[in-house]
Amino acid sequence: MNEAVAANPAETPTISDFARTFRRIQAEIHKVIVGHEQAIEELLSALFAGGHVLIEGVPGTGKTTLVKTLGQALNLSFNRIQFTVDLMPADITGTRVILSGADGRREFTFQPGPVFCHILLGDEINRATPKTQSALLEAMAELQVTVGGTTYPLAPPYFVMATLNPIEMEGTYPLPEAQLDRFLFKVRLGYPGEDELVRIISSATGPDEAAVIPVFAAGEAAARLEGLKRLVREVIVAPPIEQYAARMVRATQPDNSRVLGDMRAPIHVEAVNRYVSFGASPRGALALILGAKVRAMLDGRANISYEDIDRGAPAALEHRIMLNYSAHSDNIDATHIVEQVVKSVRAARA
Amino acid sequence: MPETRRDEQKLWLILFQIKAARARLNFLVLQHWLFATLAIALGATALICLAAELLGPLMFLGSAVIVALFALAALIRIARSDLRAGASMAKAARIADERAGLKGRLTTVLMLADAPKPSVLWPYLVEDTYGLRDEYAPARIEPRIVSRAVFGLLAALLLFAAAMPFSAIARGGRHRLPASAMGPPGRVSADIDSLEIRPADPALQPNAEIYADPATLRRLEDKLSAAGNPNRGGGQGLGKLINRARDFANAVQNKLTGRNDLNRPPISLRLTARNQDTTVRNHDRPRGPSSDASGKGGGMAGSLPGSGHASTQGSGSSPGQPPITSLPADQADQLAGNNPASANPDASPPPPGLAPNPLVGGDQESGGGANHGSGSDPAHLFGEASNQPVGSDSFKIAIEAEPSTEASAPGSPGYLPPDVRVPLNQDQYPDEPLARAAVPAGDQLTIKRVFER
Repeated sequence: MNEAVAANPAETPTISDFARTFRRIQAEIHKVIVGHEQAIEELLSALFAGGHVLIEGVPGTGKTTLVKTLGQALNLSFNRIQFTVDLMPADITGTRVILSGADGRREFTFQPGPVFCHILLGDEINRATPKTQSALLEAMAELQVTVGGTTYPLAPPYFVMATLNPIEMEGTYPLPEAQLDRFLFKVRLGYPGEDELVRIISSATGPDEAAVIPVFAAGEAAARLEGLKRLVREVIVAPPIEQYAARMVRATQPDNSRVLGDMRAPIHVEAVNRYVSFGASPRGALALILGAKVRAMLDGRANISYEDIDRGAPAALEHRIMLNYSAHSDNIDATHIVEQVVKSVRAARA
Repeated sequence: MPETRRDEQKLWLILFQIKAARARLNFLVLQHWLFATLAIALGATALICLAAELLGPLMFLGSAVIVALFALAALIRIARSDLRAGASMAKAARIADERAGLKGRLTTVLMLADAPKPSVLWPYLVEDTYGLRDEYAPARIEPRIVSRAVFGLLAALLLFAAAMPFSAIARGGRHRLPASAMGPPGRVSADIDSLEIRPADPALQPNAEIYADPATLRRLEDKLSAAGNPNRGGGQGLGKLINRARDFANAVQNKLTGRNDLNRPPISLRLTARNQDTTVRNHDRPRGPSSDASGKGGGMAGSLPGSGHASTQGSGSSPGQPPITSLPADQADQLAGNNPASANPDASPPPPGLAPNPLVGGDQESGGGANHGSGSDPAHLFGEASNQPVGSDSFKIAIEAEPSTEASAPGSPGYLPPDVRVPLNQDQYPDEPLARAAVPAGDQLTIKRVFER
């Protein structure tokens, strides 16, 4: 029995408990996944912040393996959905089926879909139709599923990780903005370096598979994880930091946005006005603060700093920024826009 | 309860330390403002003093205004920036966070100190921040005690210290000079045509003696009356303005440098008429006996208007006649009563050794040269006697133009003559005016022989 399993879940965790647990989960994942340190940290940050993650990466970079390993390390129920074009919403949420009871009577019974779990992997989510993609909306945002007029709650913790393949665009359906907005972070998984590749070869082609040891004991993982998530929410945010995050989100919105009306951002970023159709929503500001809280706790602090906000900005804002045609023609991506925004807001703070 | 009390004490200590850091930061800002202001004031003063020593009045005025404007702008800018640099508690906490690498701990503690139990992690934050108190001690947040602006002040002091001895040396040099070397030459000649007449400063004392032949004096009188005419050209306003600026600059310069233009020696100014113009020729006033002749070739020296004294005949009435000389009073009295023919029909050119002086007025074509060459030509030995009164061509006048309300402060220096000319060239000698005397007929032949030799 390891230390984490032996811990009493009824105890209020401390900041050091949080940091220790976080590092242990990281270490377990790295037994299987080589490299991708930042992606894994962002993934776990989203988990402890209570959000969901959109993982974007080319094939073969370990997206699915990463999610499976996480499920094993957390010792939580894990489901995987391979999204295809013919996947229907009921295939995700579940459906009512006619079952015969013990007395021979037949009645409609709700058969839960794969969405009923703690950790859900939606593999290649952009291959499904928007209708099917939207079936996840309620589950992700409200932790519940409504089927046939009946609402079924999902057991916390609930963590959705969806993967996107940015290369194969044929036969794919871009995710609707509403669904993109529900992902707390977007994590990019790139190709590994040469050294990492060598390590992957040696570990994946050897006779022994890496054994992932669960960090939490079975049955108490959910409670402990929820306790740590509550602790994250307790991290203190000074008003200037909140204002900084709000200003950063406002700076992603172009001046000519018809959504804003007469409101104008206090900080004008030329790249935003030129290339952005729609900026980040208020969920972007929440993502900035929640991600910063996790980072502060990992640093042993009970307060967040400006640097925490800056560091979390790419993962929290990139997928919330809708670029226009000029950006595509000028080969400008959201990463560049967020860099400019962070630079401008930081300069205004100084 | 004791735990809560300890937390409050720690919180109080944290806030006290932020206050101390703030006081230190603000003290430095205050020093910066003080030192920078002093540096700018001293530097500007030194530059203005140097300009007063080295530059002329108008250049001094321009440079002093520029330096003063720059200094004023710099003072305003520094005051504004220092006002902005003043640290509030929040700003002091932010600076301390940045300099001590506290990642927002102090700002968070400060902002939420009065909030009612903001989080379960609040005691942890206070304890954590208190444990790092050495990191944000005021001496570590701002190690400097004296602002860097003190270097600017030192530089300005050096400049000032360098400027003052320079000024003293220049002043001492002026005191050692003879009085005549401190101003223009004591005896100067000026052509009346080049003479610009401006209204005199009422505050100034006359400091020049002017003498000239009567015709020139008459022209001077005309020019004076013209100068007093308010309906003159459009450039007068600007000229007056420049004069006022020059007077002001001169007064300031004198105060700064210790100069005193009142100690300058008086100037003896001889006015000459190099180019007799129609102003004189067309004069309707009574003339002497030679007034008709003078109308031929440009007026020459004549009597003062209404004086009734004939000064000389108009030697300039025809080319080749010797110039007319106006005598001092004693000589004129001595030779009075002898008045031979006014014009000599046998006029011949002056001898080669008596070339006319173009600067003084020896231009015979124009009838100038009234003050030299008399009696040196045998052909003109016996002209009309001069009946000039005593001091007719050498008397003192005080030029008094219209009193002006634009007088500068009492003690301001007088105007220098605008155009000072060297009276004679190297081939000429200063001549003394001699009155033409009436020679008895019996002696004329003898005298003529003497000169024809």
